[in-house]
Amino acid sequence: MTPTISATALGRRYRDQVALDNVSLTVEPDSITGLLGRNGAGKTTLMRIVTGQEFPTAGDVRVFGEVPAENDAVLRRMVFVREEQTYPDLRVGHVIQVASWFYPNWSEELAQQLLADFELPLRRRIKKLSRGMRSAVGIVIGLAARAELTLFDEPYAGLDAVARQLFYDRLLADFAAHPRTVVLSTHLIDEVADLLEHVVILDRGRVVLDAPADDVRGTAMTVSGPVTAVEEFVAGRPVWHRQRLASRASVTVTGPLDNAAQARARALHLRLEPLSLQQLLVHAAGTSADEKVSA
Amino acid sequence: MKTLVNVARYHLADRVTYLALPWGILAFSFLINVVISGRLPSPQGDYTGGLLTIYAYLLVCGALSMTRALPFGLMLGVSRRVYYLGTALLIVALGAVWGLGLTVLQAAERATGGWGVGLHFFRVAWIMDGPWYQTWLTSFVLLVLFFWYGMWYGLVYRRWNVVGLVAFIAAQLLVAVVAIVTVSTMHNWAAVGHFFATITAPALIGVLAALTVALGLGGLATIRRVTI
Amino acid sequence: MPALDEGTPLFVQIAEQLADDIVEGVLAEGARVPSTNELAAYYRINPATAAKGINLLVDEAVLEKRRGIGMFVAFGAREQLRADRRKRFAEQFIDPMLAEARRLGIDTDTLVSLVRGPGWHNGGDTP
Repeated sequence: MTPTISATALGRRYRDQVALDNVSLTVEPDSITGLLGRNGAGKTTLMRIVTGQEFPTAGDVRVFGEVPAENDAVLRRMVFVREEQTYPDLRVGHVIQVASWFYPNWSEELAQQLLADFELPLRRRIKKLSRGMRSAVGIVIGLAARAELTLFDEPYAGLDAVARQLFYDRLLADFAAHPRTVVLSTHLIDEVADLLEHVVILDRGRVVLDAPADDVRGTAMTVSGPVTAVEEFVAGRPVWHRQRLASRASVTVTGPLDNAAQARARALHLRLEPLSLQQLLVHAAGTSADEKVSA
Repeated sequence: MKTLVNVARYHLADRVTYLALPWGILAFSFLINVVISGRLPSPQGDYTGGLLTIYAYLLVCGALSMTRALPFGLMLGVSRRVYYLGTALLIVALGAVWGLGLTVLQAAERATGGWGVGLHFFRVAWIMDGPWYQTWLTSFVLLVLFFWYGMWYGLVYRRWNVVGLVAFIAAQLLVAVVAIVTVSTMHNWAAVGHFFATITAPALIGVLAALTVALGLGGLATIRRVTI
Repeated sequence: MPALDEGTPLFVQIAEQLADDIVEGVLAEGARVPSTNELAAYYRINPATAAKGINLLVDEAVLEKRRGIGMFVAFGAREQLRADRRKRFAEQFIDPMLAEARRLGIDTDTLVSLVRGPGWHNGGDTP
């Protein structure tokens, strides 16, 4: 099956900075991919290039097999919800109505449900809305469009935890009922970790991790306990991080640990704690750009 | 095709900018002129440049369509080309309709003898003082011209910011200066004068139409690499 | 909402929780198992992950697919799971217990009496 997105050696440099460097990746259809990384890692630039809003300076990208820039046939199959979207001076209801004209798969029923869920005032002018409500408008459009390729770039600026959970629940529910390709960029990683099927981590414009979420989970484990026991246990394993306090040590090593190893750890009274996706990102982003994190 | 229409509909959703304000401004300018004419009548009748306000407004509108309205427009999954063309075609449609409106108002003005105060508001000297179809065509071309010109300004601003805008204006002034200098050095002012004296209104419309198309193409070329 | 821990792959945890329900009889043999989408919504996870978990149990013949209707608990699944777990019981529960007992110096007889009765109150030797 043709990947929905296919980037090959994609690069984007500006006069004073390299936003993307030799990015190659594919995004498979009908999946939820998390695009993770620090601020300025290149996530937004990548998404803007994929949606034809920005042009690459090196390499190329294909969406549905074609170049996306200025390609109406491809563009109409995508929706891109950005972190800060500029809207014209219209009322909320009008903005939603206008959006409904452009997306072939638009679901008015879903739009109405979401508008009610987020309690958005239809008659208020969009520029008078709070930041959170503006974000909610973007989310309504992004979900109701039911576009084959749906991209969210940190779409929840200003949304509180309750509203965010609402977004995740609605996204999941509609994704399950109407599968599509979703790319979600975020730095609230632990909130979305379970939604993701695939994870891509960018750091300083480069891909440092590109793997199925299941593989990433358990990529690294932190082993803690008495120093001698810990060191004995981790001997021979690649160490990511070491921490000591008097006679206790906490060492992070490459996982996964099979059942035998886990049993051995238990026998040695060592505590095992897997690295969360968020902690993994912190580590990956701190790694030198040349090292790739192997999952 | 349907997308082009939807782009036009998108702009029209802003009814204030595209429907209320143009006619509101026109009405306001007209009323002021009527009052002044009523108070201070002049024997040959007042030829005001009041109609210019609507064209100036359209220039601004055009610029706004490419600055304020562009980001959301592109978010809706249309290419820059389609967005531009949809916007350009919107004003072609509006221009045709409004041109007709102005023609009707001109006829009314003529019939009422300048609204009873000898005001020549809708009858602009020479270019819009002839037969109705000429007025219609001229208004139409001028409306589209100013809007498309404004679109180009908006795009230049988007791509190159204030510096680019200034450079854009300076370049145009430079072209004008070069033209003037050239004519002067070739001592051809007589020819220029002759040209303007003998050109017919229809021919002028043709020149304006060609200029409009050129401006349209200029904008289209500029939008191709605009990023949001 | 049940907590999902970080260590084991999510889909394995999903499978284990379903298996738990079957062993305890909460999910009866021949009963319909929640669909992929229902599981995804309940656990707030990606449907593909839920599907993987179900497939794991299908591979073990614990669940069976009936075309057009859904996933059902296979007859004999409960016994099968219980037998599997009996096999793992020693490794999972007994070995760690013995290791801990040894560490604390609890001898076998005390251990047995602990297993038999309510523990210290039976007058067993205090360490």
